[in-house]
Amino acid sequence: MPFLRHDMHSLSGAYALDALEAGAERDRFARHMSRCQSCASEVRGFREVATALAFAAAAEPPPELRDRVLAAAARTRQLPPEVRTHARPRRTRSWVPWLSGVVATASIVVAVLFGFAQAHTQQQLNQAQAENKAISLLLSSPQVTLLSRSTTKGGVATVVLAAARHQLVVVTNGLPALPAGRVYQLWLIGKTKIVSAGLLPAATSGRTAPVLASGVVKGDTLGLTVEPAPGSAQPTTKPILALPLPV
Amino acid sequence: MNPSDSDASRFKSATTDRRGERDLDDLLVHVARGDQEAFEAVYDRLVGPVYGVTRRVLRDPSHSEEVTQEVLLEVWRTAARFDPAMGGAATWVMTIAHRRAIDRVRSTTAAADREHKTAEVHTPHDEVAEAVEASLDRERVRRCLEGLTDVQREAITLAYYGGHSYRQVSDLLKVTLGAIKTRIRDGLIRMRDCLGVS
Repeated sequence: MPFLRHDMHSLSGAYALDALEAGAERDRFARHMSRCQSCASEVRGFREVATALAFAAAAEPPPELRDRVLAAAARTRQLPPEVRTHARPRRTRSWVPWLSGVVATASIVVAVLFGFAQAHTQQQLNQAQAENKAISLLLSSPQVTLLSRSTTKGGVATVVLAAARHQLVVVTNGLPALPAGRVYQLWLIGKTKIVSAGLLPAATSGRTAPVLASGVVKGDTLGLTVEPAPGSAQPTTKPILALPLPV
Repeated sequence: MNPSDSDASRFKSATTDRRGERDLDDLLVHVARGDQEAFEAVYDRLVGPVYGVTRRVLRDPSHSEEVTQEVLLEVWRTAARFDPAMGGAATWVMTIAHRRAIDRVRSTTAAADREHKTAEVHTPHDEVAEAVEASLDRERVRRCLEGLTDVQREAITLAYYGGHSYRQVSDLLKVTLGAIKTRIRDGLIRMRDCLGVS
């Protein structure tokens, strides 16, 4: 279901109040916001309004909470200041039991961290954090399927599919480098229509950072094509990968 | 009876007063370097609204306490990632707080607990009334909320304080999804102008 741009923009208020449910719509808006300066600044202003609402609701917590929080802080290691060396101890830890079951997805985790390493501005970092959160939610959901397939041009795409969430994460390794002005674009190819599932980010050392695609439905096939930058509305070349998704 | 000065100035300094805001930003810079005294000061300034908003959303006091602790620890842990260019420190912290509360509410177990407590459902007007105890700043927020249309005000309070998604708000208010989106956004624009947010 493609959103009209105008529709998208009107979600800024709901987004700023955290009133979009996790999933396709929120992800779409977050993606939209990363390209839409005016939406981002509108959301910033709305969050200040929300801050005033929070202060208007201020309440006194139990006094013993203070000592507990201060003591916990004294034991908690802080993140270093540079944005490039990102580590999230909590999340990483919560992945551990799951990872031990599905070792192959380690590559995704590496790629997630790699995504942070690529963030050079706060905005990119914020976006990477939002993506990371969505991706870690997906990776920690109980039923995921791991798929992996070579493309017809070489290189491998690895997909973690969470059918119940209608989401998947794609990373690639070893795809051929593209000439300037060309991009790799992912597609969800359904029975009646084809929707873009986003562009692969530029590869570093042959790997691409994870791309999260939402709105996967029964009967979809994941496709990958080479498109003129900045991507196409519908595929214009023959897919180099067509991976049926067991949804 | 009358709000204490410190109460009013705490709100003011943390949300509106530019100089106060910078102070809080400075404190966070020190927190990022592991300054525990600065963290205590941040705690004292912000724990009230953090606890207040999580309590509104979660209703359960012990869940709210847990989430408040998580939020403040996240502030401690990630203070180095705070970028003043992206908005004030109070807004950064409140965004974390509200989001955490919402995450908790939408996780299934908490949602089940919460359903019990929804029995004594506040009507949106009660929500507003609760939000506005005596304080000059609360008064200002109240006045701005009152400047909204009923649907705008109800939609915003149900979403923010009630922790409802806009779909749920649309069900509760029997207004179409498209209209709710617009009401929330229009209401926030009015609030923004009324509160003098940049």
